[in-house]
Formats: sequence, structure tokens, C-alpha cells
Amino acid sequence: MLKIDNLHAGYGGTAVLHGISLHVAKGQVVSLIGSNGAGKSTTMRAVSGMIRPTAGAILLNDADVTGMESYEIARRGLAHSPEGRRVFPTLSVTDNLLLGAFPRFTGSRPKGDINADLERAIDLFPRLKERRTQLAGTLSGGEQQMLAMARAVMQNPDVMLFDEPSMGLAPILVEEVFRIIERLKQEGVTMLLVEQFAAAALNVSDYGYVLESGRINIHGPAEQLRNDPAVRAAYLGGSH
Amino acid sequence: MEVFLQIIFSGIAVGMIYAVIAFGYQLTFATSGTLNFSQGDALAFGALAGLSIVEHLHNYWLMIPVVMVVGALYGVMIERLGVRPALKIKSEGWIMATIALGIIVHNVAENIWGKDDLKFPSPVSEIPINILGANVLPMEIIVVFGALGLMLAVELFNRKSIYGKAVVATSADRDAAGLMGINTSLVIVFSYALSSLTAAFAGVLIAPLTLTGASMGAALGLKAFAVAIIGGLTSGLGVIVGGLILGITETATGFYISTGYKDVPGLILLLLVLAIKPAGLFGKTAIKKV
Repeated sequence: MLKIDNLHAGYGGTAVLHGISLHVAKGQVVSLIGSNGAGKSTTMRAVSGMIRPTAGAILLNDADVTGMESYEIARRGLAHSPEGRRVFPTLSVTDNLLLGAFPRFTGSRPKGDINADLERAIDLFPRLKERRTQLAGTLSGGEQQMLAMARAVMQNPDVMLFDEPSMGLAPILVEEVFRIIERLKQEGVTMLLVEQFAAAALNVSDYGYVLESGRINIHGPAEQLRNDPAVRAAYLGGSH
Repeated sequence: MEVFLQIIFSGIAVGMIYAVIAFGYQLTFATSGTLNFSQGDALAFGALAGLSIVEHLHNYWLMIPVVMVVGALYGVMIERLGVRPALKIKSEGWIMATIALGIIVHNVAENIWGKDDLKFPSPVSEIPINILGANVLPMEIIVVFGALGLMLAVELFNRKSIYGKAVVATSADRDAAGLMGINTSLVIVFSYALSSLTAAFAGVLIAPLTLTGASMGAALGLKAFAVAIIGGLTSGLGVIVGGLILGITETATGFYISTGYKDVPGLILLLLVLAIKPAGLFGKTAIKKV
């Protein structure tokens, strides 16, 4: 479904990723874990076209999308819920959700039943229910995160990227975020997940990659990584 | 009292023209952070094109949609030639580029229509109507409602249609809008088309009240820019209030002091706003995260 091959990317001459390869199969949840600055978000941004890779290839549904603009990649079935939520603050919750379905309105993605999906998104994220008409900028951080994820669901994509969905949230909301990811997984959604809470991320994942200074040295089934002494010591220590 | 009302009414008509041009400045600023400094020339070009079209169509009202198309194409040209190359390399070159393109259009217009001002036939009676003792030209009423109508139509489009929401989303966060599958480059082209369409429309609205010529846009474009700054580059209500303030103070100064000084209060107001509330009377201060 999503295949990254020998990807190099960075910002203005500073290389961050030095040739990473990973694969997300249909229906799988794959985690990308690593410390701050390892290049997790850079990977996500390169995949969704927010930055242009300097080398390597990105295949979405077996089609080469390397170097395409982000709107083109989105129309080909990739949803990216970016770091920092990035909801549209001056628009209502409902309008934010409808914009998730923008390519479906314009015919560049199969239309499906947008209203039914709107109900489903609200159902998945009940916190948004009473906030429907409120401006997204007035929501709390947790609600904005739910909105950003719900907006990605509205895209009805083939692959979803979630970048740090639990960042800055209260523990109870972190649990809720993971519960929702679990539920999306049960519905068969293909996901690539970047998380600070590595243990929780591996718990919901089928497979994991460990990113260190822009390179992937360790990867394997999530179960195996959870029990790997080196991974445990570096990323799974502490409370989670 | 009647004189005072007369000043108010005339001021409102002029002010609404400023408002609608200023509104055009806002449209491109919202989506791309750039301004089309050839708005005044778009206005003059629109009015002159309108004059030629009226000669063929013999109908002012049928001419308006045609002029709007001309204005939109003008905006697309400005964006392609002057703005997109600068945006691509994140330069401020669009400032000089849009001014330069405006000068070229001005010269082309002079060569086509001549340097002399031309009379634009009024589509309605030129006999003033008496409202509470003040004389109001029917065209002045059309100006006010035409300008308001256009701004309202754009607002409705932005609020109600999914394409309008895509424009608002692009203004709020261009990267995130791209992730939603919105072609943000196309949204910027569209905002330029809409902005110049607005200016061309303002041109044919004001033309029957003034004279039409290649230079008619220079002062209007500049004053509308002042209105956009006074009202705030981000507030739709701000440009209407700003336009009315400038229109009315100008007419009042022209009557009570001297027409030679009529541009002064507006500029003083501009300086005051810049000194005291740089975001404009209704503008929100932009907070930039670094």
C-alpha cells in the first residue's frame, strides 16, 4: 500500500534522512519510533509532499508519488494528520471536517456518502459532537487533536499518517487517542503512526521501525520490538 | 443640514468605491500574503474596456459580466507574470513586479484609448433625486448597492460553498490546505482573478460619475490601499468602515476647507492608524510563531 525506498530528505541543504526504507501493507498499522530529531516528522512530511525528497522513491498503491505536490498525493489517497494539529482556526468544526472531504466534493476522489461519513466521524470522536458549530480555534488542544484526526478520516484515504497524535495531551486524552486508533485498525484502516509514547504505539501496531539519526537500524514485528532489550532500554523505559 | 446630508451622501458613494477596491487588496493578501499594486490600473483598464464594450453592445448591464471576465483575466496575468515567480523563491519581488506590470498596462491603455479623459455614458438618468433635501444621482445609488452586492456575494461564496471554504482554509494554513487535497496555487490564481475582477467592476461603476481615462485608477488605487490599511487587511467590515470614513472626510474637507486639501485628512488618518494601531481599526494583530 505504502512503500518507501531509500528515502533521503532534509531542509535547505541540511540532510535529515539518510536513506530509509519501510513498508506499510494494506490493513496494517506500522509505528515509526525514535527520539526527538531522529527524523520521524521529516519522514511523514516527505511522504505527504510537504517537503520534496532529495533522493529515493515513495510508492502509494504501487504508483510513484515521489516529488508530487501534497494536494496531488492527498487526491491519490493519502491523509496526513500533521504534527501540531493544524486545524483551520477560523472555520467551524463541521467545515473543517467537510474540507477533509474536499477531493470527494470536487470529483478527484470517489464521492461516497459524505454525510454518512460526517456522522461516522462524529461518532468516532464524540467530543466533537457538541462543538460542531464552534470555530476550531476555540477548541481545547485535545479537541483540536480529535478534529485533526477526524478530518483525516473524512478524506476516506487508503493510508493515514498520524504524526504525534498524543503530543501535549492529558493522560486521559492520550488513552482516548489510542482507543480511536485501535478502533480504526479494527475497521481495517491502514496507518503509519509516529509516536513519542513508543510502548503504547507498539501495542496497537503490527510492525515497527526504529529511526535513529535519519537511519533505520532496527525493525520487526511490534511484538518482537516490545521484547527487544535494546529497544526496551532506549525507548520503552519509564512510565509507558 | 441639507449641505451636511449632501456631503454624507456623496461621501458614501466615493467611500464604497474605495471599499470595494480595498476589498480586492484583501482577497490576494489573505491567500498569498501578497498585494496587487496594479489594482488602480486594473480599474482603469476595466473602465476603458467597458467603454469600448458598451459601444458594441449598447447596453451597460450586459457589459458588466464581460468586463468582469476581462478583469479576471487581467488578474490571472498579474499572478502568472508578477507574483508566482516571486512566491516560488520566497522573495518580495512581487511588489516591484506588480507595480511594473501596472505601468505597462497604463501605457498600453494610453496607446489604445488615448491620453484624454473620455465621457462614459450613464446607464440611468442623470437628473438628481431629492432625498431629504440633498441631491443624489441615481448612479450613486447603483454604486453603493453594486459595491455592497459584490462584497456580499464573495462573502457568501466563502462561507457557503466548499470552494469558498477551500479559499478560507488556504488563507488560514496553506500547508494544511494542501494536505486536504486543495490545490493552493490554483486558489491563489483564483484570488488574483477575483481581486482584479472586483477592481474592473469598481471601474465601470465609478466611470459614469467621473471621467474615464488611463490615469483614473492611480489616485483611486492608492486611496483604496490607505483604506485597506486603515480598516485592516484582514477585515471585510473594516474596509467598508474605512472606505466610508475616508469618503466622507474627503468630501467634507473639500466643501468646508478647500478641494485642494481634500486628500489630506485621509493621509493623516493613515499615519495615525499606522502609529497607534498598525493592524488597522478592525484588523487582528498577526502573531507569528518563530
